[in-house]
Amino acid sequence: MIHAIDCKTCRAWLHGYLDNELETNAAAEVAEHLHHCAECAGEYADARRLVAQLKAHLPYHQAPAGLARRLRASIEAPASPPAGLLQRWLGPGGRRWLAPGFSTLALTLSLVLYLAAPSAERPWLDEAVSSHVRSLMVDHLNDVVSSDRHTVKPWFTGKLDFAPPVFDFSQQGYVLLGGRLDYLQQQSTAALTYGHGRHLINLFILPTADADAAAQNLSLRGYNLVAWRRNHLRFILVSDLEQGELAALGQLIQKDL
Amino acid sequence: MTRFEELFLPHLKAAYNLARWLTDNDSAAQDVVQESAFRAVKFLHRFDGGNPKAWFLTIVRNESYNWLKAAARQGAVAFDEACGEDEPALADGRTPEWQLIQGQEAAQLQQALLALAPVFREVIVLKELEDMPYKDIAKIVDIPLGTVMSRLARARSMLRQQLQKSRP
Repeated sequence: MIHAIDCKTCRAWLHGYLDNELETNAAAEVAEHLHHCAECAGEYADARRLVAQLKAHLPYHQAPAGLARRLRASIEAPASPPAGLLQRWLGPGGRRWLAPGFSTLALTLSLVLYLAAPSAERPWLDEAVSSHVRSLMVDHLNDVVSSDRHTVKPWFTGKLDFAPPVFDFSQQGYVLLGGRLDYLQQQSTAALTYGHGRHLINLFILPTADADAAAQNLSLRGYNLVAWRRNHLRFILVSDLEQGELAALGQLIQKDL
Repeated sequence: MTRFEELFLPHLKAAYNLARWLTDNDSAAQDVVQESAFRAVKFLHRFDGGNPKAWFLTIVRNESYNWLKAAARQGAVAFDEACGEDEPALADGRTPEWQLIQGQEAAQLQQALLALAPVFREVIVLKELEDMPYKDIAKIVDIPLGTVMSRLARARSMLRQQLQKSRP
């Protein structure tokens, strides 16, 4: 039973409602109130407009190009202390799995998948995460910068002994940014980069002799990964993007293969 | 790759952006990020294994405030205004060329947000630019979860007033 809230309560909750931070009951009460109260609805529309404007136009200050390099040079960090075993498995983002929004089933399932991942896969995934981090750090994201797959795909010709499939899903919100030549386990690898909101995604593609394998969703050192094998190609998606959205991109790609 | 590199370097851009918005000064922001990185390395053992971005930005935020306080003591910048009009890095941001490139809209928003006190500016940066959930913002800004919502509400309403002022 939803009981009506007054304008004062509505205004207090309005921004939590706007940011999707209210609990279901409270959100329903705000929605109900907005439905009936033109004044609060106007306030809500104004706030929404402002947020949209900020997200679209507020400048994001880009860090100077040399900052990461200078920082790395100046910090001689001591070797990392051994982390707890579970922490090691889950990575620093492990806790995020426990956040509300992920069902227990999803948690259990991904843990099972993760633990069941054959250890042979692990070095690939580890290196993919390192390469992803490096690509963000050293300002070397792309060798060929283009959102046109007919520019990106031919660029790899002659540089690789296989033809990586190149996809563009800008319609679905995953914008192709370009590609670069990379190496995983000393093997030449095609790395395609995609943007989704403010998140960057690396897609690594390289040949494999192993049989096809269905997509697995994993979390490693705070990053999310989706990895699968198809037609003797190994695909690894890495990003700090939320797991569900990364998995969605994985599904789009697999559908097009 | 060291543990620091894998945990915190990916969040360098966010660190610089937050420091830059709070100090409104390029070289100060770089110093703040540098100092924050030192502290992050030094106190790495205190990192609870939670969200590395929130942890790093907590340090960056504190260091930014330290810089603001020190600058205010020196009389260079009023603590709650953080103008520093004489900084070349800042002046660059307001040239007509910059406005052309960034668009009138961006320039107006930037000016309006800089007019807000840092405690309101930071929640806008963390929410709208970093898209962080309230629980992370609460941690970084060191306020209760419920206060995040009311502070964002105030910050947004003040921002709207500022924008109305600039568009008569």
